[in-house]
Amino acid sequence: MNQIKYILITTAVAMPGFCAVPVWAQTTPAAQPFVAQIKVSRGIVRIDRAGQRFPGPPGARIKVDDIIITEGNGSVGLMFADNSTLSMGPDSEVVLQRFNYDPTTYMGAFDAYVKQGTVSLQAGNLAQSGADNLRVTTPKSELKGNAKQLLISVGDAK
Amino acid sequence: MKRMDYFLSTCRAASVLGGALMLAACAGQPEYYALSSEPGVPAGSMKVTSRDAAKPGTMTLDAQAPIAMHDEQTVRPANIDAQKMQARFAKALSAQPLPPTRFTLYFVEGSDTLTAESQKAITSILDEIKQRPAPDLVVVGHTDRVGSLSNNDRLAAVRANTIRQQLISRGIDAESIQATGRGERDPLVPTADEVAEPRNRRVEILVR
Repeated sequence: MNQIKYILITTAVAMPGFCAVPVWAQTTPAAQPFVAQIKVSRGIVRIDRAGQRFPGPPGARIKVDDIIITEGNGSVGLMFADNSTLSMGPDSEVVLQRFNYDPTTYMGAFDAYVKQGTVSLQAGNLAQSGADNLRVTTPKSELKGNAKQLLISVGDAK
Repeated sequence: MKRMDYFLSTCRAASVLGGALMLAACAGQPEYYALSSEPGVPAGSMKVTSRDAAKPGTMTLDAQAPIAMHDEQTVRPANIDAQKMQARFAKALSAQPLPPTRFTLYFVEGSDTLTAESQKAITSILDEIKQRPAPDLVVVGHTDRVGSLSNNDRLAAVRANTIRQQLISRGIDAESIQATGRGERDPLVPTADEVAEPRNRRVEILVR
């Protein structure tokens, strides 16, 4: 375990144009800043991170507090560290609010805010370790539980 | 509260800009929630609670009531044709990542040395990695129940890291391989404590 290296991100205030500088460091899994990766990306997909806008091609990595957005021609599929997947249809927007995961015990928590669009969530290892580990909020509702697969639609279907 | 403020301010912005889509959403376009499951796999359940204090309501999504909506009233079960739901979510569902492919490699007792057969199997892992556009790997080490819990946690982590290093030496990007140990707590074959079981001395590799 202590041989694993994780990227630590430090905010570089003095570097206009960059919001983060990767630094190799040894730390615990809890401090791992990247929690998911884009596996499928079609059309226009972007990631809003701390006010900066990034493209979302296959391979792009996702951090907590990232906002994932698809345009009218877009769709995207993410895989999380615990094998949970989240995929989004066109004109969708999801804020990843929390993702804690201990790969040894499978304990953790997943919180996402579905602001707009169509979303499919498939629970991974996290859902096995607690009845309420999965939490999704929308403009109108809060959903909490241990669903294996959850579909959510907010606003007009595209 | 912060999130609701964000949503309301977006509604106000949409009103100013005349964004028909956002207005429709703000004005009460129903939201839909559905549990989906494959035969033989428990669907689980989700408690759905209205966040609108003026329209309180709660219900549980489960195998008996798998679809709900939140309309102008509140949260309530919805009786919607499954095909219509599938159509609504077709593009989101088609973007689901491929499920991970799982490989298992076995070790010589008490060591991080692969059995001869497992050493050869690494080639098929490399082949699977090549099939995927954005591969990443999770390597999880396991032990049998000989020895203490803490020693087995350590050995499991060592096994996972040994395989990680082997994959790196075969050209796989170090950043895309995560290695962890589960010790003796997740046996392939359940045994009593202190029983030597070769099938539990393993790493599982998920190519994702």
